Amino acid sequence: MSDLTAASFAPLSDQQPSQVIARPSLSYWQDAWNRLRANRRALMSLYIVIGLLLFTVFGPVVWPVDPAMQDIDQISQPPGTDRTAVLVAEYEPWFGTSGLPGTGLRLAEKATSQAVRLQWDALDGASGHRVYRNLFPVGPELSYGIPMAEFLNNDTLYFEDRLDLQPGRFYYVVVALDERGLITDRYQSISVDVERVTTRAEALERGLITESDAVQIGDKITLTWHPLGTDYLGRDLLARLMAGARVSLFIGIGAPFLFVLFGVVYGSAAGFMGGRVDQLMMRFADFVVALPFLLFMILFKIAFGIGPGESGVFPMLVALVVLLWPATARLVRGQILQIREQGYISASQLLGASTPYLIMRHMIPNTLGVVLVTVTFAIPSAIFTEAFLSFIGMGVAPPTPSWGSMSNEGIKTMLTTPHELIFPALFISFTVLAFNLLGDGLRDALDARMRNVE
Amino acid sequence: MSESSFNSVPGDDQFVHSAGGQLAKLAVYAMAGLALVIYLLSVLAGEAGSTTSGNAIDFENNAITIALREEPPQLDANRATDASSNVVLAHVMEGLLGYDIDAQLVPGVAERYEIREDGATFWLREDALWSDGVPVTARDFVFSWKRVLDPETASQYAFILYPIKNAEAINRGEMPVATLGVRAASDRILEVDFERPTPYFDKLVAYLTYFPVREDFYNSTNGRYGADADMLLYNGAYVLTDWVHGSTMRWVKNDKYWNRENKGFLDEIRTAYITQDINAKLNLFKDGQIVDTHLLSPMLPTAMEQRWQIDRSMDGSVFYLEFNHRDDRITRNKNFRRALQLAQDPNELVYKVLKEPSYLPGVSLFPAWLSGVSESFQKEYPPVQHQMNVEKAREHLELARQELGIEEFPPLMMLAGDTPIGLLSAEYYQQLFRKHLGLEFRIDVQIFKQRLEKMRQGEFDVVLSGWGPDYNDVLTYGDLFSSWNLQNRGRYSSQDMDALIRIAQSELDPQKRMDAFGEIQHLLYEDVVILPMYERGFSFVVDPRLKDFRRRSVGPEVDYNYAYIEQSSE
Repeated sequence: MSDLTAASFAPLSDQQPSQVIARPSLSYWQDAWNRLRANRRALMSLYIVIGLLLFTVFGPVVWPVDPAMQDIDQISQPPGTDRTAVLVAEYEPWFGTSGLPGTGLRLAEKATSQAVRLQWDALDGASGHRVYRNLFPVGPELSYGIPMAEFLNNDTLYFEDRLDLQPGRFYYVVVALDERGLITDRYQSISVDVERVTTRAEALERGLITESDAVQIGDKITLTWHPLGTDYLGRDLLARLMAGARVSLFIGIGAPFLFVLFGVVYGSAAGFMGGRVDQLMMRFADFVVALPFLLFMILFKIAFGIGPGESGVFPMLVALVVLLWPATARLVRGQILQIREQGYISASQLLGASTPYLIMRHMIPNTLGVVLVTVTFAIPSAIFTEAFLSFIGMGVAPPTPSWGSMSNEGIKTMLTTPHELIFPALFISFTVLAFNLLGDGLRDALDARMRNVE
Repeated sequence: MSESSFNSVPGDDQFVHSAGGQLAKLAVYAMAGLALVIYLLSVLAGEAGSTTSGNAIDFENNAITIALREEPPQLDANRATDASSNVVLAHVMEGLLGYDIDAQLVPGVAERYEIREDGATFWLREDALWSDGVPVTARDFVFSWKRVLDPETASQYAFILYPIKNAEAINRGEMPVATLGVRAASDRILEVDFERPTPYFDKLVAYLTYFPVREDFYNSTNGRYGADADMLLYNGAYVLTDWVHGSTMRWVKNDKYWNRENKGFLDEIRTAYITQDINAKLNLFKDGQIVDTHLLSPMLPTAMEQRWQIDRSMDGSVFYLEFNHRDDRITRNKNFRRALQLAQDPNELVYKVLKEPSYLPGVSLFPAWLSGVSESFQKEYPPVQHQMNVEKAREHLELARQELGIEEFPPLMMLAGDTPIGLLSAEYYQQLFRKHLGLEFRIDVQIFKQRLEKMRQGEFDVVLSGWGPDYNDVLTYGDLFSSWNLQNRGRYSSQDMDALIRIAQSELDPQKRMDAFGEIQHLLYEDVVILPMYERGFSFVVDPRLKDFRRRSVGPEVDYNYAYIEQSSE
């Protein structure tokens, strides 16, 4: 105490504090974002969702292919098929070649995907022939394959096959018919390798070559590229997935967003006001729950003047929003009722907090967990609802695709061309999974009660 | 700010990790187990299919099991319209004439007959009996036919009896039923007067609307005739003994049937399944539960892999795009229709899009199986060779635009059925006309009944439609586009066409009659009344132990009347 000088009372210059027991002050959203970032699954999901949005919005710019364009030459092609084709002359009708060398069942010309031309000599004792095509050689079971044509006399000893010829190996069989036109066990068979071809006119039409190109018959050209293959009408699957994403995500995100928003406002209003108003509002919500969804969907469609053959995406959105909000409203109201009675609310009120402050600062953040769970479940269910409605013809109309209608079409040929089902199904699965995981992460991150768990 | 502040306690982390690891392990085991079970089941299922342990063929009882497409609404032949009723009735009833195994017209209840310009006489056989043992008489036919035409019966197929004198007037309620030109000269002799010469009347009487009904039995059913197995009298190769609605039927051999030597070899036919689902039918066949099923093109690789004997048949019907010719429609314009005609090619539709090996690309309203004077009709009267020409199509479209005096074509309505093939064709045409002609079509998909209703109302511009034969004569198609035919849904009306159809209906000289059909075929192309799409056929499989099963183009789609089980050689 003795050596106090005047200097001791001079203010200190600015200097670093030696030790501060504090952490950076974080706003609610910064904190939530930090915790979301720490959750790797949620982060991945977020990237996937962003990727999907980019795919939907910018995909068509990068891959500007008309999703309704039909490439009849490449129907139901899986991705990665060889696309080279040889240029040949225009198709000319053919009625057999007289004096064709050779005997037995033989090819009149090189087999191409344009036509396979077969010619044969009448089989012993045959009063007619039937031509079969097979993917396998005729075995001891005498399973000849698919009957392609039948000739009930021996006047016609040639056959031209133009049906769905794909590059690869086919076995053709000619079977003798008896006098009654029934098949016998006398047959001849031949294996044929089919080569993919196209004509100049077709190539020009599809934009593979231009008028000025000096391509000759016999030249090899490459057919249009379809990265994910084509569907049952030769339409580009990637372009259809992009176009379908627009419908599916519009419904899948738009509808839940709108009806959850409405549900939150409605539910918190009811819960906050309580009493008679609450009773009245919740009875109205009960009334809406009782409305049959499908019936209203049809009513909306008519009310909006959507005729047959037009896409009813907008009425679908309206029907979803109008009919599905009560679930969220009920949940939020329950939460608000609970929170309203909590001590910190009373404390806050005593300290002079206004109603908007109470709602924004305490009520909404505390209900966010519940709300996000609802959204999480609502998005996939909305995507599925869209798929279902498109399936029964209440949703999109052809040629507009949606993931649901694409899956529905793909399932018909699931065994022969699985890619038509797998791609849209994968997109639906990934979207639904991503939204689920993201919702999970968001719930953890936004839940005010979990803020202090460190 | 450091990342570490958000990490959990290390011990806690470890616990979470090990729990997660255990869970993951469990999940892997569960998945592996599930995969194993599925694999084992599929192996077992595969074996079950190949050992044909099913009930499709019952050697002991000489019985087979089949699937019906749908439940017949009722089995009153006078009022039946659908394919399933046709199948059942063709096995339990018989008309004056019938079809043999090779689809040739042969005597049925009538022993012999005579067709004159003004009428016909049928002499009935003595041994034709009803299933209660009473002989089938000419009066049963008179009663049945009068009943069909009675406006109160409201039979949809009444028009098929119109060749009989006064039939049309009676059906419209303009004349009393008693004035119908048919009478029983005796129990055995049936006399028919014609409204106009009808040389093909023998083919008509094989159709089910002409089947007999016995008056006293009909009255005893109190208006429930044909509603149940015991509410029907039978005179065919089989009788219906059980009919559990919505589920099963049993057809048992009719031991009173006069021709049991040549028809009805099986003791029992069970219709144990009613399904339209073609995949379900394929699985039933694979498992040996039913004796036959037809196949769609995506199933053919499976069928080839199973090494089945695949057969084919034409079902007789022709499918086409039909235009709406009503005055308020754009499609009334001929140049517009011509443009659509030139912009399409049925070959591409059948060979590349539908890919059905049993379909024939459509060339005409008259299918390939119809016979002309002495040879096939298409051979005697070759249809116009159609050439696709987009350039010309666009010219015609421009002409149509000027004639109609419009700036741009509004979106048009394309009505289609809800079958896979119907949808596929509609989507193909929608894009085809958009690409080549810039026309916008909206596809209106409707179930069968609703589609017919909309066609009747004229609520379409273009409809994907088809027509199946009722009897084995070109006229079954030929009178479709007469101005008075109610099945002419597009209301096409032309005096030339009507005149030609009048000739085709009543001309007795076969050559002149066929010439008229030839001209009808030409006119249909020139006036672009329809655009033929395809002639339908079926690829089908049948149990190799069942012989002489037939699929028909005229009459029932499946015919087991001549089928028998081949006894194994050992």
